[in-house]
Amino acid sequence: MAVSSLGAISEYHELLFAWASRTIRARYQQSVLGGLWAVLQPAATVAIFTIIFTQFIPIDTGVPYVIFAYTAMVPWTFFAASISDMGDSLIINMNLVSKIYFPRQILPIAALLARLMDFCIAGSILVLLMIYYQVPFFALGWLFIPFILITQMVLALGIGLTAAALNVFYRDVKHLIGLGLQLWLYATPIVYPIDVVPERFLPFYFLNPMVGIIEAYRAIVLRAELPGPYIFISVGIATVVFIFGYWFFKRVESQFADLV
Amino acid sequence: MAPAILFNQVSKCYRVGRGLASLFAIFGKQDYSETDKFHWAVNDVSFEVQPGEALAIIGPNGAGKTTTLKLLSRVTQPTSGQIQVNGRFSALIELGAGFHPELTGRENVYLNGIILGMKRSEIRARFDQIVDFAGIEQYLDTPVKRYSSGMYARLGFAIAAHVDPDVLLVDEVLAVGDYAFRMKCYNRMDELRAKGTSLLFVSHNMEDVRRVCDRGIVLYGGRKVFEGIAAEAVAEYANALRDNASSSRKSRKVGENLLAQKVMTHAARIERVEMIGADGIPIRTVRSGETVHVEVEVQFFEDAEAPVFASAFYGPNGEVVYDTTTRLLGVSTPNFRAGDRAVIRYELTMNLIDGLYRLTTDLAYNDLSCYYDYVADALSFVVVASDPAKGIANLQTDVSFEMIESQAVREPI
Repeated sequence: MAVSSLGAISEYHELLFAWASRTIRARYQQSVLGGLWAVLQPAATVAIFTIIFTQFIPIDTGVPYVIFAYTAMVPWTFFAASISDMGDSLIINMNLVSKIYFPRQILPIAALLARLMDFCIAGSILVLLMIYYQVPFFALGWLFIPFILITQMVLALGIGLTAAALNVFYRDVKHLIGLGLQLWLYATPIVYPIDVVPERFLPFYFLNPMVGIIEAYRAIVLRAELPGPYIFISVGIATVVFIFGYWFFKRVESQFADLV
Repeated sequence: MAPAILFNQVSKCYRVGRGLASLFAIFGKQDYSETDKFHWAVNDVSFEVQPGEALAIIGPNGAGKTTTLKLLSRVTQPTSGQIQVNGRFSALIELGAGFHPELTGRENVYLNGIILGMKRSEIRARFDQIVDFAGIEQYLDTPVKRYSSGMYARLGFAIAAHVDPDVLLVDEVLAVGDYAFRMKCYNRMDELRAKGTSLLFVSHNMEDVRRVCDRGIVLYGGRKVFEGIAAEAVAEYANALRDNASSSRKSRKVGENLLAQKVMTHAARIERVEMIGADGIPIRTVRSGETVHVEVEVQFFEDAEAPVFASAFYGPNGEVVYDTTTRLLGVSTPNFRAGDRAVIRYELTMNLIDGLYRLTTDLAYNDLSCYYDYVADALSFVVVASDPAKGIANLQTDVSFEMIESQAVREPI
């Protein structure tokens, strides 16, 4: 069943990309700054934390705090925004879901792809920051970036598919996602370095799959190192979450149209 | 040939009354309590549609028409029964479903086309046709949120009608267009059917149903209560409206497909339709019981061998009051030559109760295979009666009264 519905995705790939591009164009239609918002979102968050952690509570991050935080904030913003969008993707398109048939997973997957665009725009600013702060470029490591990115997307998809499906039944999910993502930001070394986490917390800490993913980005981009074996914890958890999410989504998919 | 649509003993049940489903219900486990109520939106309905055929689904609100279309388009799953659709379909359950208001007409053509199952290359090939059909050339690069509702609907129909579907599902969408656009839609549907597209048509407009469809089924309370040729189905629906107990009505056998492939050739044109009163001038108001003339003037562009003239009168609720043809009346019509111009004159006694009536007239080939021309609502007129009765016909009643035996107490003299 999973195989046949993945087959349907390839049959419907035009719809997937058309819907993703519709989402992107619609997002920045009639806005002055357009795609710049993709940068402003993480940049503003980084700015406020830079003030806090360099002026109020100085913290040692090795590299300048701006690039330290931005390196993690860009993938985190992608992660959080894509989950939030995926969660809403079915209910905001209910008029379509209840009127026209197509594989329903198209909507959350397109929401994810649409946020990937933002990630690329925000990521290009990271390159400028690296040049400005003269961070050495680790070519071999960068070959692993797509692999980490895919792990992150698989994890987001697993959560997003589950959230999108549950959201159709219980609108509480929408609020739960917002709250969960807010807490999750602080449970992940994004605004602070992992060194400040007490040793005894670490075994549990790494069960948060985003810890390994964010650490892997930082290792490659800022420290010119390959990610440690912790990345496999993230890959494993992401795979399990994805398989569950996909299975759950397909299991309840047929009821979506009846629940408008 | 395999039918384009096979709908076999299909039922769809909704649970009503309770707000949130439990987690067990989400997983499709039986989780029904005694207090749950069920609503059978579609109950044991069967029908087939052959390639190139047009089937109307008519019935009052809540009869299960839209649910039937949703089942066919796989949007929702049947509770029981089998559904088979052969080929690609295009569903017009709502015009422009999937339009994004912020995007331009051009962008939405591609998006909507892809949603309806076209390839980008196919849309590109038909783009000009679609835009031309919708008549929105100059607004192509305007966001559709600035479109009028008519433009929105025209673009929606134009896209769906150019998918080149094997099955086209049309749900109550022609109501929004103006007369000219509806005519265009009719012609497009005729074109598609000539290519073998099957049509499933849901409408409350009985004239549309008669114009577009060969056969019709009447749904009532989720059940099929009638199946037959479109005109019969329309008449049956009018009856069903009056007869709330019609759920016990038995399905009748499918009638012979008389209206199949009736397409307009435009080899002649109905130029003028008028109702003439006793004093020889055109009128729109008739006294009940008055004798009037209806004149239909026809211009022939090609030779026509003994064509059949038909007129149908519709009552205030869309019911057929009187539907006849020169053939049914036993009148033989002459052969006409290209360039001829003729008037056919009916003399009618308007024994109708008061209300607004409409006249539809057409001119058909001798073998009834095609129309030369067809004018829906060619004329509307008002009948006024001095005695406001109910029903359809004025049976010209005279009332007299006779006492057989009286129990009245005689006043003592």
